Amino acid sequence: MTVDIPDGDQEAMRFEILGSVLKDGAAARLGRLTLPGRRPIDTPNFVGVTSRGVLPHLTPDNVSKHLQVSSAYMALEDFIEKPQQYSKRVPPIFSTPTTTKQGTPLHSFTAMPPSVTTILSARRLPAVPPPNGNTNDSISVFTSTGFQVLPTKEYLSAVQTLKPDIAIPPADLTHGPVAPNSKRALRMAERTDEWVVEWFSSLSRSSSSPQSTFAPVLPISHSIQWEYLARLAEDYLPSSQLHGLAFYDADVLPDIAAHTPSLVQLPLLSLLASQIQSQTQTPHHILRQISLGIDLFAIPFVNAASDAGLALTFRFPPPPHTTTTNGPLLPLATDLSLPESNNTTSLAPLAEDCTCYTCTSHHRAYVHHLLSAREMLGWTLLQVHNHAVMAAFFAGVRAALAEVEGGNDKFEVLRKEFALAYEPDFPEGMAQRPRARGYQYKSAGGGEGKRNKPAWGKLGGAGVDVDGNGEAGISRGGAEETTGGMANGEGAYARDLEGRGFAQVQN
Amino acid sequence: MWAARRMASTISASSPALTFELVARCSTTRARASVLTLPHGPVPLPIFMPVATQASLKGLTPEQLEGTGCRLCLNNTYHLGLKPGQEVLDAVGGAHKLQGWKHNILTDSGGFQMVSLLKLANITEQGVRFLSPHDGTPMLLTPEHSISLQNSIGSDIIMQLDDVLVTTSPDKARMREAMERSVRWLDRCIAAHKHPDRQNLFCIIQGGLDLDMRRECCREMLARDTPGIAIGGLSGGEAKDDFCKVVAACTELLPDLKPRYVMGIGYPEDLVVSVALGADMFDCVWPTRTARFGNAITKHGVLNMKRELYAADFGPIEDGCGCPCCRPAEEEGAMGITRAFVHHNAAKETVAAHLLTLHNVWYQLSLMRQAREAIIADRFPDFVREFFRNLYPERSSYPAWAVTALKGVGIDLLET
Ligand SMILES: [Zn+2]
Ligand SMILES: [Zn+2]
Repeated sequence: MTVDIPDGDQEAMRFEILGSVLKDGAAARLGRLTLPGRRPIDTPNFVGVTSRGVLPHLTPDNVSKHLQVSSAYMALEDFIEKPQQYSKRVPPIFSTPTTTKQGTPLHSFTAMPPSVTTILSARRLPAVPPPNGNTNDSISVFTSTGFQVLPTKEYLSAVQTLKPDIAIPPADLTHGPVAPNSKRALRMAERTDEWVVEWFSSLSRSSSSPQSTFAPVLPISHSIQWEYLARLAEDYLPSSQLHGLAFYDADVLPDIAAHTPSLVQLPLLSLLASQIQSQTQTPHHILRQISLGIDLFAIPFVNAASDAGLALTFRFPPPPHTTTTNGPLLPLATDLSLPESNNTTSLAPLAEDCTCYTCTSHHRAYVHHLLSAREMLGWTLLQVHNHAVMAAFFAGVRAALAEVEGGNDKFEVLRKEFALAYEPDFPEGMAQRPRARGYQYKSAGGGEGKRNKPAWGKLGGAGVDVDGNGEAGISRGGAEETTGGMANGEGAYARDLEGRGFAQVQN
Repeated sequence: MWAARRMASTISASSPALTFELVARCSTTRARASVLTLPHGPVPLPIFMPVATQASLKGLTPEQLEGTGCRLCLNNTYHLGLKPGQEVLDAVGGAHKLQGWKHNILTDSGGFQMVSLLKLANITEQGVRFLSPHDGTPMLLTPEHSISLQNSIGSDIIMQLDDVLVTTSPDKARMREAMERSVRWLDRCIAAHKHPDRQNLFCIIQGGLDLDMRRECCREMLARDTPGIAIGGLSGGEAKDDFCKVVAACTELLPDLKPRYVMGIGYPEDLVVSVALGADMFDCVWPTRTARFGNAITKHGVLNMKRELYAADFGPIEDGCGCPCCRPAEEEGAMGITRAFVHHNAAKETVAAHLLTLHNVWYQLSLMRQAREAIIADRFPDFVREFFRNLYPERSSYPAWAVTALKGVGIDLLET
């Protein structure tokens, strides 16, 4: 249960590092992040990634009851679309009233359980690359009604209105698949530097700003952004305006630890700069970043796995003996959409020993059936399970880190075992996706192919993660119509009739 | 088989897998309040049964469905026969186990879906014949197949395979054939039914809009003494006046101590009028389907949350609604969902559909709970009048069919 914080309580964020392998420099560490009014977050930990303010497929009651998610990443671009007929309207979220239990407009609008910490950024995770890029005083965002210019000043004022617990100032990012050239990288650093200066000077002029700022670290080399980072360390750390760092590339962290060690005493959040990165992220990457010292991870693959019909199956530490035998590598996830007998009729949980709602109240056969029937509940149950696997994974990591005392580095030993035990990549999901989420997955370059196969076509190779032309995925998913009594497309089932004892073939 | 016994304040009757206890009767209309005890627990009647077609209620977890107070929901035999299929149902141990549902399930026969979904279906004495649209193979669903599948599903109430025609069919001879065939098929279903000790086979009264044929069918079906009775073939586009006449003609003949199920009914005013006419059980996909189009059912009518009107409306979906979405966030187990939030995500995130589904199912169940309470307190006519007052701002806009039907059972909606 959450403690309601009385109005006017300006208690600040607290971050304690409870233990780390090395005292200085970059290293895995155990910590606790406490934000006023929210459940404290033991770190390392993960951040749930929302879409339009919701953890996909999960109603807020299910989040409260069945998810051990400590924080939620939200994107302002999910709330500020301008429908053509109502292009002058102020986005409704800005006028959200607060209540005693839901003390901020962002929490109140999204009905996010009060125990959950909100992290607001301008862009979704992963973000669609803007075709025209940013300008000196604005970034380009992608809403459900298309690309929109978001002046950095407007973003700041949105943050001040919505009052997320943690806000990430605007960063000049390309979000593209290729690294920017050095000229572009330099401009990214300069612009971001200017925007962050503007951010802090505006904040210092305003009276009410209880939220915490996690400054962006750009996905470019340290040598190009060192001036910006030095400013953070010299100006905003001493003034207590800076509360954490948000990394778009965690590999910059060792250099920061070497040059401005004071910055790595802050809580460190890992984000992903591009769609490609988020599609290739695995728990192996996460473990590596933990050993660099990252405390919090926004992990888009959790939602993506559920959408693909995958149940995550990895745990930390890996099951005993898996690394000493020469057996096959363990899969990181199991594809519940496959019509194998350990899916179709299995009353077993999705993953061994999992204690989540899905695994204790339901079984593989049901989730397989739901995926096969394209019932939305399949994705809900996978979301519950997959978030539970992440929570258990991070609990395992923290337990290993807690054993570090005495110099022996338990975590690093187990991390190596994990690397030997599990496959390097996720299996590709066969299941039809719940919705192509057309606009959100809009392709920048094109040519990626359609995300869902045509209805009732033969399920062939793995779906590609990007939807080429934003086909009407939403109406097929959210308002999916396989439904009740009068479903469409039922005709195509008919072939299955014979094999299933439903009806006999005559003659 | 049907031993009625009088108890201190109630009367009840039992069959091997069901007890029906009549708790109260409206002193004006034919409305009844009862308790139907099925193998998976008691169910207060009258009741609306949400339709979990493919063993899932459109994104709600069984736990959320249970939270609405639902104790009896529908699965569709046709769909479960295809996915996951009889073999899997047998291996898993039936539909309750498949979907983790501790309460009761009712299944239809599958015949209606055949006829309505597969345009090439035709009906012979053997069963429903159709050509597989996939490869043109002739296929057949017989009463025996239907019961065998429903036995595998393990539903608490199973339905006979019937010969369904649209009520508006002008072919009287065909209508009679369908009615008589449905009676013959009931006999085949009874003979094929393997678990009468734990599954209740309900007959289905047919006969189109011809009241005499309906009465004749009632007599034939009643002679077979099934534990419950359904009125079928309605909700197929007939005039509401005709619908009410059929329901009234049937309930007049039906025994007091058996549950009466009007199939395919779900609009709130249809439910309220049908209860007044003496029906107990209803099902319809409309409340859950309309949720997915962004529609919220409220006592003042259906509101489309996608309209711009609701974009910055920070009130609950329905004022005073007791569902987990609408109650203020301060209350235990409540979410404090606003219309603005539903608007924001309608047709964009599945969560908006889930929330409206939850609200709509709650609305339907709560409407029947209120009707039941009103019957028990013998103030059902007041309940009906208040229901119509809320739904229509002007008395002049009350639907004529409802006024007529209710007048027939002693409620004058227009009386001042
Ligand atoms: Zn689980
Ligand atoms: Zn409600």
